[in-house]
Amino acid sequence: MFLLIFVLFAISLIVFYMARGALPPEYSLAPYITPRMTDVQKLQLAQSLGVAAASCPSYQAFSSHDPQCVAPLWGQYVVWLGLVAQGNWGYSQLPGLAGTARTWDVFTGRFPFTAQLAIGASIVTFVIAFPMGIISATQNNKLPDHASRIAALVGYSLPIYWFGYMLQIVFVLYLAVGGKGLFQGSGALATECAICFSSPGSINTFTGMPILDSVLSGNLPYFWDSFLSTVLPIIALSLATLSSLTRIVRSSMMEALRQDYVLLARSKGLRERVVVYRHALRNAMLPAITVSGVIFSTLLGGVVLTETVFAYPGIGQAIVSASLVVDINFLELYVLVIASILVITNLCVDMIYAVLDPRIRY
Amino acid sequence: MTETEEVPVKALTGRRAELKHAYTLYKQNPVVVAGSIIAVGSVVLALLSNVIVNPNIWQVEQLGLRLCWNNPAFSWPVTNVFDCPGATYPLGTDSWGRDLLQMIILALPLDMEISLTIVVSATLIGVALGSFAAYVGGKVDEAILRVTDIFFALPALVLAIVVMTILGRTIMNLTIAVLIPWWPIYVRLIRSQVLSEKERPYVEALRSTGASPIRILFLHILPNTIYPVIVQMTLDIGNVILTFSALMFLGFSPNPLLPELGNLVTEGISYVFTAPWLIVFPGLTILIVVLGFNLLGDGVRDVLDPRLRR
Repeated sequence: MFLLIFVLFAISLIVFYMARGALPPEYSLAPYITPRMTDVQKLQLAQSLGVAAASCPSYQAFSSHDPQCVAPLWGQYVVWLGLVAQGNWGYSQLPGLAGTARTWDVFTGRFPFTAQLAIGASIVTFVIAFPMGIISATQNNKLPDHASRIAALVGYSLPIYWFGYMLQIVFVLYLAVGGKGLFQGSGALATECAICFSSPGSINTFTGMPILDSVLSGNLPYFWDSFLSTVLPIIALSLATLSSLTRIVRSSMMEALRQDYVLLARSKGLRERVVVYRHALRNAMLPAITVSGVIFSTLLGGVVLTETVFAYPGIGQAIVSASLVVDINFLELYVLVIASILVITNLCVDMIYAVLDPRIRY
Repeated sequence: MTETEEVPVKALTGRRAELKHAYTLYKQNPVVVAGSIIAVGSVVLALLSNVIVNPNIWQVEQLGLRLCWNNPAFSWPVTNVFDCPGATYPLGTDSWGRDLLQMIILALPLDMEISLTIVVSATLIGVALGSFAAYVGGKVDEAILRVTDIFFALPALVLAIVVMTILGRTIMNLTIAVLIPWWPIYVRLIRSQVLSEKERPYVEALRSTGASPIRILFLHILPNTIYPVIVQMTLDIGNVILTFSALMFLGFSPNPLLPELGNLVTEGISYVFTAPWLIVFPGLTILIVVLGFNLLGDGVRDVLDPRLRR
């Protein structure tokens, strides 16, 4: 728990100092300005936000980087912490929004889509990697082993974005599924594609994730469309993590099968299936669970690329747009959320590991 | 003739025997040999690229040759493929009329160079900090561990994007942006190795003869703990190329004309269904190069695995 707080504070401090220290002061003020403010109002806002010093004479002096006019960074950080604690992350600077939507709303509107992709990819990864790794280990050095090892290596070396485009090319050009408009948003917010195939009516929003909400609202065509639109991104996203998890399951299963207790179990006359699943697998799962924290990290990084390729309206796509226009608040929010997700995941993994392995007691 | 006196046969011992054994293991594994051929081949191609291809050709736009394909060996299921006038372009041309094959060959040295820079720098920083932390122990060790925890809380790509947002778009900034998330891996790796090596009897013996800590660390401990680092370095050359080209793909490159593999894919985004070769071939090159280094790294790990040694 202290680790989480320490990491969050450290990251927010580092990103804040880097961003506001390296960029001109107007960038710090931009998220809080509404379009029709006068210069006097902007200066008052800057002073109330702690970005401009109280003694600053005019907005022109502030934006011309007069050093006496810009408040010290630690003071800005304290004020920013206060604003954030109240939930005020300013207005989003993303292209197409023109400062009309709050950063927090944009983020929470997009987050469920990314969560949908990440959860789907995790499920695919774990469901496919474990059987493949076990088969690979039990049929060591025979054809299934070699095939899955080479497939895992190829999957591990793929550029995700290339694979995403290859999937689109194969499906649209060769299998003739859908037309040219499919999967191809132009990258601007308005034409992003979470339902790419049809216009199947509307749904009530329960969780924000179209796949779940459509099932809960009983709108099955919507569910089918959103499912089809999510399948290819999930395949592209999960291939790399699938490959690394398969390799780890394989090597830890092989390690477990070499142990003496497996020899004893076999000599007792137990069926091979019982030996593998009841005895060896339990011990082999531990390294695989340890590495699932890293896998989740890779997934969250790959989400950025996958959403850009498939024009999927999640936060990965938004962070790329935000970095083009340097929306500092969105950047901070994104970084803090991702960091807390990863730290919490690692904590959960450690706890699960402690429960499963009786040798470890804190 | 007849056998005369016994000729003493010099047996291979020590380091030479190990290397010979390692080479035998290496030769027995066809996949690893393939990987090392690919890896070495791409390095050689990168070094020779300025000789094979005119290095200034990426700045020349020939709009009359845009987006054409006239390689008879393969045809795309795309309507209106423009046939290139004049010479045959084996991989087609891109949206500025430049030959794609030449662009890919030109892109290799840039990718290799940046990847090697990043991997070597990350290793140096990581090994220095990690071995220092492990050997000294105590508060310093804790502090360095906490710092690496901060860097592990974010995925590498996300951290690189954040750094690139704040710095400008130059090659140097891209190198720094990918280096920053990469060095903590080496700190953790070398730290765990040195921690276990530190307890060995020979270290205590060295300390009792009065050897200075730096001498013990660099001359004795590090050479014994360096093998996992070498494996990780080889694997990381490929992974850094992946991350770096992903950054370029997302739009952080200084010049859209720059011959770099991720950049070449970015050009092809607008033409996914009209000129698919723009995306297929640069990405395929990345795949092959990274695959080569991953295979090589796996092979190095298998060969250097202490459990397989005699």
